[in-house]
Amino acid sequence: MVALAGNKLYAQASPKDSLGFDENNKYIYYQVVTRPGLSADTIYQRALYFLQTAYAKDKLKLKKQEPANGVLKGEGGFMVSKKALVSKHEDGKITYDINIEVKDGKYRYWLTNFVIIPYERDRYANFVPVNGKKTPLEHALRLLGQKDLDDYLEKALVNSRSIGERLKNFILSPTPTAKKERKIAPVVKKDW
Amino acid sequence: MKKRFLLLSFFALSAFSIAKAQDSTQTDPPLTITGSVDTYYKYDFADRSNLPTSFASDHNSMSIGMVDIALKKKVNKASFVGEISFGPRGQSQSLPNAAGVYDETTNSYNIQNLYVSYDVTDKLALTAGYMATFVGYEVISPVGNFNYSTSYLFTNGPFQNAGFKASYAFSSKVGLMAGIFNDYWNVYKSVSKLNTFGAQLSLSPIEGWSAYVNLLTGPSSGTEIDFTTAYQITPAFKLGLNAATFSAGNDYEDGGFTGVALYPQYAVSSTVTLGLRGEYFKTKAGDYATFGPAPGESVTAITATANIKAGPLSLIPEVRFDNMSNDAVFVKKNGSPSKNAGQFVLAAVYAF
Repeated sequence: MVALAGNKLYAQASPKDSLGFDENNKYIYYQVVTRPGLSADTIYQRALYFLQTAYAKDKLKLKKQEPANGVLKGEGGFMVSKKALVSKHEDGKITYDINIEVKDGKYRYWLTNFVIIPYERDRYANFVPVNGKKTPLEHALRLLGQKDLDDYLEKALVNSRSIGERLKNFILSPTPTAKKERKIAPVVKKDW
Repeated sequence: MKKRFLLLSFFALSAFSIAKAQDSTQTDPPLTITGSVDTYYKYDFADRSNLPTSFASDHNSMSIGMVDIALKKKVNKASFVGEISFGPRGQSQSLPNAAGVYDETTNSYNIQNLYVSYDVTDKLALTAGYMATFVGYEVISPVGNFNYSTSYLFTNGPFQNAGFKASYAFSSKVGLMAGIFNDYWNVYKSVSKLNTFGAQLSLSPIEGWSAYVNLLTGPSSGTEIDFTTAYQITPAFKLGLNAATFSAGNDYEDGGFTGVALYPQYAVSSTVTLGLRGEYFKTKAGDYATFGPAPGESVTAITATANIKAGPLSLIPEVRFDNMSNDAVFVKKNGSPSKNAGQFVLAAVYAF
């Protein structure tokens, strides 16, 4: 079933680097990337490391891992705001699910389930999530209006591309071991 | 004294971890500038200002509320908020001046919020300064309220509390705040001591439902116990509730108030929301005077409000009727005492 769904997704979204609709009419950013020479296990480990470390936990975190099937699932979110010359504050947060599947020499990933959580000002002049208001982007036209929806879809696409780019870099690089402490060479003033 | 020592110790201990927590690899978020302006027209059906609400005080006049500007910056785990306001709502109607009195004409500090905060961990935050009170449902900023006129519970409760507080999130559903605050509400500096204890238990039992149990108690400021909750029952329907009881401090022999307000709101479209506020407010017998009924008396108020949004601009038409248990506060159009009063307000609030 996963394979069937995957074929459909591939057919619909693979050719374009843009948001599309999946078979459930949900926005999706879908990419297939080939990495000849890399085994499925290597790609899996690097993708796992990506989900565990690439972003802070409130931005992206691992939700599920199935090593036997080469499947990883994560969830994350990014802030969206309207920019002005001198004023800028959080208008909301768009959350998403990310799915990664690996095979020998290639992997695919897709971001979907984009949900907008509006933010409002609290009594301490902070902007905080509105409790109980979560709207899938597919149904957000009534809440946001066309202009804001277009703006948020654009931001969802830009962020999806950025996440995909970072995933690509993690897959290209070997999983780093513990960072070495950078040593500063001592300055010897005796001989000059 | 022990409570105060405990909280001060919290701040001292946190100082040790500040240097360790710096992370120079992240880009600092920019300075955030937000705020609002509000203006209104009010017509009191008695052809004079009758209702003792905090703001929207001027009858048959195109009047201003305030221009409110909040600055915020967070670097790593340390942040500050500085919020200043100008205009009747942002000065003497909500803030004391430098001398500690509500005088429009002299020496206002114009400070709504001025505090610094440090996230010791993901769960523990410490905050110090002059902050909007944690008590109650309604707030000073017109952006934070659905109704434009204010409830008796809001008007008679605290507006700001200066002090230290520690907030701990046990989970995404339970949090606790405890703090020590100045001896009186709404003062930039204590009259003599930092001895009002405040605590807030915050609960979010299910998605869309938040509840706060608040306590503010001190020898001079008195004791207020407050319950505030809001539940977004459906995407269109929200129900809020505020209940509180207050007993006056040592400056009075006796007195205080008790009240409850219910806030149902229904979004009829993406731009129009209709709402009601029904409030019952009773003053306790004693020598403590409230903005409202005389000691031992009560008032029932019904407010019908529409909130019409056009981007950042909200238009707020509102009709309000108050019924007092005696005729000592309101007057009729001809000047004779009345148990009833009513008003119409049309306000415009722009948030940025």
